[in-house]
Amino acid sequence: MDKKYIFIKRFWLPVALFFIAIILPFVVSEFWVHVFNEILILGLFAAAFNLVFGYMGQLSFGQAAYYGIGAYTTGLLMVKLQWPLFACLPVSMLTAGIGALILGYFCVKLRGIYFAILTMAFGQLVFFIIFQWYSFTGGDNGLQGINPPEWLFKAIPYYYFSLAVVTIGMIILYFITESPFGYTLRAIRDNTERTEFIGINVQRYMLINFVISGMFCGLAGALWGPFNRSVAPDLCGWQHSGHPVFMAVMGGPHHFLGPMIGSVIFTFLNAFVTGFTEYWPLVSGLVIIVVVLVMPGGVFGIIKEKGYFSPRDVGDVKNE
Amino acid sequence: MNDDIILQTDHLSKSFFKYQVLTDVNYQLMRGMIAAIIGPNGAGKSTFFNLVTGYHTVSGGNVFFKGQEITNWARHKIAKIGITRAFQVSNIYPKLTTYENVRQSILAQQKRTLNLFIPAERLAKQETLDLLEITGLSGFRNTEAGILSQGDKKKLELALALASKPDLLLLDEPTAGMSSEETHETMQLVKRLNKEIGLTILFTEHDISVIFGYAQKLSVLHQGILVAEGTPEEVRQNKEAQACYLGEEI
Repeated sequence: MDKKYIFIKRFWLPVALFFIAIILPFVVSEFWVHVFNEILILGLFAAAFNLVFGYMGQLSFGQAAYYGIGAYTTGLLMVKLQWPLFACLPVSMLTAGIGALILGYFCVKLRGIYFAILTMAFGQLVFFIIFQWYSFTGGDNGLQGINPPEWLFKAIPYYYFSLAVVTIGMIILYFITESPFGYTLRAIRDNTERTEFIGINVQRYMLINFVISGMFCGLAGALWGPFNRSVAPDLCGWQHSGHPVFMAVMGGPHHFLGPMIGSVIFTFLNAFVTGFTEYWPLVSGLVIIVVVLVMPGGVFGIIKEKGYFSPRDVGDVKNE
Repeated sequence: MNDDIILQTDHLSKSFFKYQVLTDVNYQLMRGMIAAIIGPNGAGKSTFFNLVTGYHTVSGGNVFFKGQEITNWARHKIAKIGITRAFQVSNIYPKLTTYENVRQSILAQQKRTLNLFIPAERLAKQETLDLLEITGLSGFRNTEAGILSQGDKKKLELALALASKPDLLLLDEPTAGMSSEETHETMQLVKRLNKEIGLTILFTEHDISVIFGYAQKLSVLHQGILVAEGTPEEVRQNKEAQACYLGEEI
């Protein structure tokens, strides 16, 4: 098959989404720019989570811990040490990665529901440490005054900054998922036993992936603090860990862009519905029920089922 | 230990709770041989394979591979030193294509699975296509492995094992679910690999024509005990083997 055709078939959707994201601030109000900024940050968070869920086949209910570590690292460095935002981002990835390495070491020894429960337990552990450590983290008051530099202070410049960081993050994640390492994750998901018998140390690969996922969750968290001007312990809580789960399930966990599309649906609905009612969790619950019952593969799952994409689409057209 | 011995077990035993499924099996396999372990269902053939490849932990005794003790090693370590296996029930990656299945095993053998930034599709192309060709799966390279026929899944199972470039290949009922034509093709391939690259092969099988047509050495297991060993002709004449295997002349 023509290489140009394969390239277009694979990348038209992310490229189109990127260009739509560029022109959005020119056509929507500032409120919606904030909403779309949130979509980008949470979309990166969900995509990072999906390395563990969609690609490796293990459900983590504790990725918010690494998101929170990233957010707090940036917050503390900016508020207490006046570090520039640019320097905080890689350090946040590093601290979140270290957190994921330490806690993930124990989690990857387990599978299935036990993995999910341990990730959640460790997430709660991080939450309580941050919640209780008043002298360092501000406890339940959180940290305020995490202001981005002046040129990023307004909604639109910060939106473009987020767009740039998230785009770079997503490109790196995409490369990882298409690499031999990414295929080894799929192999572990599909058949852990067979993967061991072809000579792969499954536990080691799961840990490396957990750390990579944690680092990118940390990057998303690092973008959140200056966006929201503050961070609070809730960012690490189990409820916040549920958001990327919802997003991945809504968008489609077996498609690279699924979690980002899930973030669009989830965050947009949240912003829209909370304008009318305070019962947002009721609405999100109903949406999840509909998604699980009517389209268990998420939005991309149903699109594939209807035959709009081949089984190997957007980054998966191969060996033609 | 004799250098020609590729696999040796000393008093190998396995019990699950109070059930003894393998008892004091002393077994030797010479390099470059095609050998079979036969016995009725429940004799302990698959358990023997499971102990050698680290699938189950050994309850007693030792396993040696090329003179090195490998008892209770991790599965991936055993695969890395040169023992791979194909399972009785095909054990493949159902959501990946046939091509991706084989490539995954090849990349693992080439120690390239930790590569994070080169697209997998650019790697091991020719090796993958070659292996698909020799296992007769070229026509299905873009098919999701989960929807292959049972016979083709067994071929893929064999391809995954071969991709690891083993010194010793364990095949647990390699032709189960195959037509007689596919069975013949598969066993011819096994024979060719043995002859051309000197691959040592140990298999279990119920098909008498396959056993006596291809194995150079037979070992008979009955209720977890090795009761007879020898060339196919010797085993054929062995009364004990006849009695416990089929209860009649084999």
